[in-house]
Amino acid sequence: MSGTAVAQPMERSRRRWFDLRLLAAALAIASAVGYLMYTGLQSGAASYFVTVSELEQRAGAVEGKRIRVGGDVVAGSIEVGGPGEPIRFEITDGASRLGVVYEGVLPDIFAEGRHVIVEGTYRAGQPLTADTLLTQCPSRFESASGR
Amino acid sequence: MAEFGSGALIIAFMLALYGIAASILGARRHVPELVTSAIRATWGVTLLVVMAVIALATAFLTHDFRLAYVAGRSSRDMPTHYVLAAFYGGQEGSLLYWVMIVGLLGSLALYTQRRSDRALIPYVTATILSVMALLLVILTFVASPFELLPVTPLDGAGLNPLLRDPGMMVHPPLLLAGYASFTVPFAFGMAALITGRLGADWLRAIRRWTLVAWGVLGCGLLAGAWWAYHVLGWGGYWGWDPVENVALLPWLTSTAFLHSVIVQERRGMLKVWNLALLLASFILAVFGTFVVRSGLLSSVHAFAVSEVGPWFLFYLAAVTIVGIGLLLYRLPALQSDRVIESVSSRESGFLLNNLIFAALTFATFWGTVFPLFSELFWSTKLTVGPPFYNQVNGPLLLGLLLLMGIGPVLAWRRTDLRLLLRNVRWPLLAGLVTGCGLLFWLREPLAAVAFAAVAFTTLVTLLEYLRATRARRRSSGESYLNAVIQLLRRNNRRYGGYLVHFAVLIIAVGVIASNFFQVERQFLLKPGESAAIGPYTITYEGLEDRRTADAEVVAARVAIYRAGKLRETVESYRFFYRNYEDQPTARMGIATVGLDDVYVVLDRWEDDGTASLRVYINPLVIWIWVGAAVYILGTLTLFWPQPALARQHVDRPVRGVIPSEA
Repeated sequence: MSGTAVAQPMERSRRRWFDLRLLAAALAIASAVGYLMYTGLQSGAASYFVTVSELEQRAGAVEGKRIRVGGDVVAGSIEVGGPGEPIRFEITDGASRLGVVYEGVLPDIFAEGRHVIVEGTYRAGQPLTADTLLTQCPSRFESASGR
Repeated sequence: MAEFGSGALIIAFMLALYGIAASILGARRHVPELVTSAIRATWGVTLLVVMAVIALATAFLTHDFRLAYVAGRSSRDMPTHYVLAAFYGGQEGSLLYWVMIVGLLGSLALYTQRRSDRALIPYVTATILSVMALLLVILTFVASPFELLPVTPLDGAGLNPLLRDPGMMVHPPLLLAGYASFTVPFAFGMAALITGRLGADWLRAIRRWTLVAWGVLGCGLLAGAWWAYHVLGWGGYWGWDPVENVALLPWLTSTAFLHSVIVQERRGMLKVWNLALLLASFILAVFGTFVVRSGLLSSVHAFAVSEVGPWFLFYLAAVTIVGIGLLLYRLPALQSDRVIESVSSRESGFLLNNLIFAALTFATFWGTVFPLFSELFWSTKLTVGPPFYNQVNGPLLLGLLLLMGIGPVLAWRRTDLRLLLRNVRWPLLAGLVTGCGLLFWLREPLAAVAFAAVAFTTLVTLLEYLRATRARRRSSGESYLNAVIQLLRRNNRRYGGYLVHFAVLIIAVGVIASNFFQVERQFLLKPGESAAIGPYTITYEGLEDRRTADAEVVAARVAIYRAGKLRETVESYRFFYRNYEDQPTARMGIATVGLDDVYVVLDRWEDDGTASLRVYINPLVIWIWVGAAVYILGTLTLFWPQPALARQHVDRPVRGVIPSEA
């Protein structure tokens, strides 16, 4: 090995299974991380991931909270509008529908029938104003033709 | 071609089974010939897999659309390099590529280690072959790339537009190779656990192969960040997306391993911990490969949900149980030779580093799989986004940055605190001055603290180089440049490592700046109109239609002015690929003006040319790519054969020509 040699006397007398100082350091880091994670989850960094039907059933519980909804874009519901206008569309899970308004860049893979995930703050009776629109081609690596 | 390829895979699978049996039997019954034949079987399996790879690549190049895999991913009008890249554009091909990398690296490892500890080799062979056998089963029976279509189409569907980008040429192959190469250190670790030969001999091989996996995976991650920045159009390079996270996890654990292994080499401590990190890295690499394919987590990388999921899950469970079992079984043999004497010692510095890396891994893993757990326990699916990771990982990363500055000046066993203070007083001062100055200038306390940490650590690292260079100059009278080169050559582990530290620091500058000071605006402009963003004025010059071999393109030209002077002109595109007309694919216009990136996304437009543009000012992002280059340089330095070591190898009497009886 390179570098300076280190004197290495055997110090077997002091061997212990757990070094208290290490344990303290580990505990300190663990509790700090635990605290940060807990507050992170409380402070709206987390959002409820629901389907459109679940959203209807639990509308009361998620009112005013951040939600993440997955569904297919309803055929004929897309109103792209001109440049600068929000995109309006509806998503469905087969049973229920949810209106969505999205003011952002038109995503690459966005079309009728595609599976999308939208995220925003839920207000009952209003279309969801999404700040995030994830498009999910059911099989991104597969071709789109012939489906 | 199809028959040839699938035939090669079946034979490879059977040969792999033979190799596993032969190596274990050979080790148990002490028949070295059997072990030798198992090693050769590994080479044979690799050769067969390579033949299958060549068969599939040939099918792509000759547009053999009888194969479902080829027809689904390539087309005649695609440029040749994308036709070849389509090879790993799907699950079957990428798994085939995975096996090939395992085979190639495994064979190389078995070849280079042929002189070393013979007792380990049979189990290394068996482990590598078992990984390959599992993947070959999947490739043969579950997801075969050589499946034929009932009717041969005239032309293929073509590669998904998002993948038709130069990023496709580097990111997937590097990332997959990084995942796959964790197999080799894992195999050595398992062999050491099974045989109970837990001495320091195997450490060198493991460290070197972990370095391979870590370096390649790191490059893959950086290439992925670059690709996302150039293609995905949300102005960033890292989104804490599940698929990104799972790729980061093995990198974090292997980085931790590469640090803590030094403690084991020098002081004989942390043995259990190191083996655990080794196992974790491999398990997380397999987990990463699996998550991408399983549809388990929702992600922007929504790949095909497929039947291979259960196979991977089964394998993950098996490896985890066997690994933990072996680790517990060998626990008595893995006791530390020494204890930590002082808190202010280098070993405790490394330990703290490892604790932070473990915490980062845990937090990232937890955030990634949180939807699954919350559904399981509270029957609500909760997902977390970037704010969660910023809050939890941000402070941890800051801690790592500081530790990276303190670590190098800590001595083994015990550090004289007065000496320590003398060593860091100038960097500390520089950090404080930077922090205060930036606080005054930028009025963003968190960013100022982070930049101060970067300044401190950079200065400590620079001083380390300076001290060592001066020492060399005093003793040998070399020029400064020559002295630095000699440092990197002769003590590449230390000074190459610091080079990687520099890379991390440079990347940190880019990340901090672009995180805190990004500006984002959306404009609706007619051709010829201008708008202001930050210190810049952009003028939208109009749209233009174009045609390439495989797509129609709409290009928006934008001129960027600063202080009244034209600095740059960029074009932002939407590509309409044949077969994918409903998926207009954006290509950003990015101009690096001074220290800022001006990032222009073409959103929508009208027939009169009115367009909505989203413009981002991303300060210092270019530093991230510079840091990536330094990272590659540092990794290569770490690999450079040490002159002293190379000589040792020659001098050492050739052991192991006659297999030692185990």
